[in-house]
Amino acid sequence: MGTFIQLVVDGLSTGSVYAAIALAIVLVHQATGLINFAQGGMAVLAAYFAWWLTNQGLPLIVAILLSIVFSFALGAVVERWLMRRFERGDPDTAVVATIGLLTLITGIAGWLWTYNNQQFPSLFPLDTVSFLGVSVSIRSIGTTAVIVVAMILLQALFVGTKLGLALRAVAINPQSAAFSGLPVGRLLMVGWGLAAVLGAVAGALVAPQLTLTPGMLDNALVYALAAVILGGLTSPVGVVVAAWIIGVLENLAAVYVPFIGYDLKVAVPFILLFVVLIVRPQGLFGRKTVVRV
Amino acid sequence: MASASSLSTSSPSTPSPAGQSFRQRPWVRMAFPLVVAVVLAVLPLVLPEFANETVARIGVFAVAVLGLNVVMGYTGQVSLGQIFFLGVGAYVTAYGVQNDWNIVLVFVLACLIPAVAGLIVALAAARLGGLAIAMVTVALPIVGVPLAKRLSEFTGGSQGLSARFAETPEWTGLYDDQWQLYLVLVIGGVVFLLTRYLVRGKYGRAFAIVKGNENVASSMGISPYRYKVLAFTIASLIGGVSGFLYMLVIQYTSPETMSFGHSIELLAAMVIGGAGSIVGSILGGAWYVLVPQLTNAVDASLTALLQGAVLLIVLFVLPGGLASLPRVLARGRRRSGADRGPGAPPTTPSSTAGSGTAAEGSERERQGLA
Repeated sequence: MGTFIQLVVDGLSTGSVYAAIALAIVLVHQATGLINFAQGGMAVLAAYFAWWLTNQGLPLIVAILLSIVFSFALGAVVERWLMRRFERGDPDTAVVATIGLLTLITGIAGWLWTYNNQQFPSLFPLDTVSFLGVSVSIRSIGTTAVIVVAMILLQALFVGTKLGLALRAVAINPQSAAFSGLPVGRLLMVGWGLAAVLGAVAGALVAPQLTLTPGMLDNALVYALAAVILGGLTSPVGVVVAAWIIGVLENLAAVYVPFIGYDLKVAVPFILLFVVLIVRPQGLFGRKTVVRV
Repeated sequence: MASASSLSTSSPSTPSPAGQSFRQRPWVRMAFPLVVAVVLAVLPLVLPEFANETVARIGVFAVAVLGLNVVMGYTGQVSLGQIFFLGVGAYVTAYGVQNDWNIVLVFVLACLIPAVAGLIVALAAARLGGLAIAMVTVALPIVGVPLAKRLSEFTGGSQGLSARFAETPEWTGLYDDQWQLYLVLVIGGVVFLLTRYLVRGKYGRAFAIVKGNENVASSMGISPYRYKVLAFTIASLIGGVSGFLYMLVIQYTSPETMSFGHSIELLAAMVIGGAGSIVGSILGGAWYVLVPQLTNAVDASLTALLQGAVLLIVLFVLPGGLASLPRVLARGRRRSGADRGPGAPPTTPSSTAGSGTAAEGSERERQGLA
């Protein structure tokens, strides 16, 4: 039983990382209608930036905060100078563009900091705490807590502020938003920046565990995309829940299903995806969209 | 394929014979494929060994890119899993050869098993519209690598499998590299020809309309779901063929063959070569093989950076890929020479090698229905 709870808590923590990236993907999709395959790559670049800052002697927390600022700028710049051209065009071309961006970012990280694994210091102590007779790692709890707080802050921003209102307006109908005087272009940059920030938080939290490499979040991208499909592209809450389900299930499967084990656990979201796509193609929480021809 | 330039030009929009470009004259169109065939037949005999091997590798990946083109370039469904089917084809081939199965049976299995795998994936993935195929297929290489390591009974685990087959027959008097290149040219050539007929025919028009507008497709009685599944399955089958050729030429496969990085490189090669173009597939294969060789010579750590940068630049300035370069250049020349009267050669879209873009596809669709 103790192992089981430990596994569930760890699963929730990795699930939170997937959830953050998945939510970033949903955010970008709602604002600009494209799936950003480079979301994980941008998070890796932010993590590298933080790692580089700690090597310059800055404290870890300052480095992470600076990398969050860097990510916001990165997201905004990428939106304005790379993706804007593809946003209103063919979505397939836009996807290829984000894949090009992923390759480029991976290439930049590999070129600047080599493809070798780098040790990223952990924000949380590696101890465990006993709770009702079950020992749970502080890192897992901390990761989950930080990401949940980040999500709540983001939600508060979207619901409670004028900026959030404008961002939602742009997401729902960019044309009307432009007619009512909103600076649509700048708001899209903000949207991409916020998505990148969410990714950067996830990247900094997961980097100690995975060790920093340019392809660190390639697997997480698969999990996040699976969560996006499972939760439904229209439902941020669904996506987060799906990411947690995936995180917990893959952790349990790795231990309790001998054939899967730790090396094949990346297949879990894939299998889950198959089942859901066949039974409920609109996703667990998504709505069926009806298009008028 | 060279014969790609001989697209039907008998539509009423064909200009007067005097204005026909050199390539559109009937005897040129007849002779051109013949010349290319002769050149391809002679080339392996005169090229040095290293060049032959490189051309054979280009052939292998040109077939893989062609498969990707069927689903992505012609049907408009982004697939990040093509390398997985190449890997499956290669593993099936290696396993079959190691167990001394009949080589024809091995070839058939190397086509069929990836095709069935692709069918299953597509049946699920195509149910969600939009970009779901891209989002699902991205998992294929990422799941494929640990899966191949796990099934070590069949795949040899991380060490991979090596297999040599198709020894050069005595009577030919050829060297190994020449014989391999001939096999690649023949098998690859047949695949290219068949694919060319597929995408120019009834199915190709259906693919184009699915790519252009799914709602229009279903209103015309073309089920987008079925045609997406069909295109994906064919792409997987062609991927299997390229896996067979991969074993023929490289004679070794490991889980690394179908890594995520290679999958992205293949997609980049297709876009850079030219989406929805037969010639573009060959250029894509050449890109896939030659560019890493070049960048490795300069600085290996720059490869990914350059690949990504070039892919983005191509998307910005040359969305049709390298295959559309002649057309773009011709248009530029015509524009600059427009005030010099009707001397400039008129270029209908069909006169260029690269065809099958969405606009042109629907154009041909309309003519077909008229």
